[in-house]
Amino acid sequence: MSEKNKDIDTEFCHIPMGDGTYRDSDQKDKITRMIILGPGCSVSSKELLNFLHMLELPINIRLTCYGANLNGYPEYVMEAVAKARELDPNHIFVKFRGFPPGDPRRCRAKRGGAREGFHQIESEYKLLPDVSIALENPRHVDLNPPKKIPLEEFIEIVDEYDENKS
Amino acid sequence: MKVAIFPPNSMILADMIVRSGHEPLVVQKEMQKKVTSPELDAPPFNMTEEDPINGLKYAAIEVPSGVRGRMSLFGPIIEEAEAAIIMSEAPYGFGCVGCARSSELTVFSLRRKQIPILELEYPTTRDDTIEMVHKINTFLDTLENNNQEDMADD
Repeated sequence: MSEKNKDIDTEFCHIPMGDGTYRDSDQKDKITRMIILGPGCSVSSKELLNFLHMLELPINIRLTCYGANLNGYPEYVMEAVAKARELDPNHIFVKFRGFPPGDPRRCRAKRGGAREGFHQIESEYKLLPDVSIALENPRHVDLNPPKKIPLEEFIEIVDEYDENKS
Repeated sequence: MKVAIFPPNSMILADMIVRSGHEPLVVQKEMQKKVTSPELDAPPFNMTEEDPINGLKYAAIEVPSGVRGRMSLFGPIIEEAEAAIIMSEAPYGFGCVGCARSSELTVFSLRRKQIPILELEYPTTRDDTIEMVHKINTFLDTLENNNQEDMADD
């Protein structure tokens, strides 16, 4: 194969990113999941990362401030997600992600500012303490406050109580 | 069962569905198909020329191409949905905020389908959240029972 053909071959195996760089096309069958540690979680993101590394699965793991990003073939990623969730089922949440970690179109290292999906995480993070409590103690809550009774009825109840007392 | 959620990028709703053993239909999955395909026009930006054409199934030609482009993303979610959880009254900034009309059209299309739908309001207190989680779990358990009954009928 000539030098020129090799270049063309390499170019067409990569996807242009629009900023002069190319992305490998090996992401086609891979998936990405974000593991998010809720408030009050019993493991830190560093502990989670160590745990994921110790699983020795062929996946790409990226440590983040809120947890970790996992990228790889579905069976390995889902295995890692299931095992990570077992660490603290009520405080560890999993989010889907479309772009692979470090993708120059979305990665904040390349474009500056937070990734768009981060704002959604930030917004939902505020609800997570209550969701964790709900997962720990699932119960039905009556959200309609009890109605106030009329004054006449209240007087009757008091009178009845006084009569019974005497 | 495949359960559509709205907002289609919500982590909490998707996570609750995964915990119940169902499959959430989220917009990230549709996005993934677009951005990881090794086609030559795999977009550095999010939209290709085909997207507004695909969106014509849901919105007329007079509708702005942005709405139609978004509907091409939400379309497969609506098509595949066997049940749906819709959260309303969320504060601004929760969910996809790009285009309110696309969101309305998605919710409208989901409601028009003859599928079980759970309508929720964004929780503002702890009791609201506990009740929301209870409602979601009850709804998903009911789906499972209905599904088993349908399979038994078949």
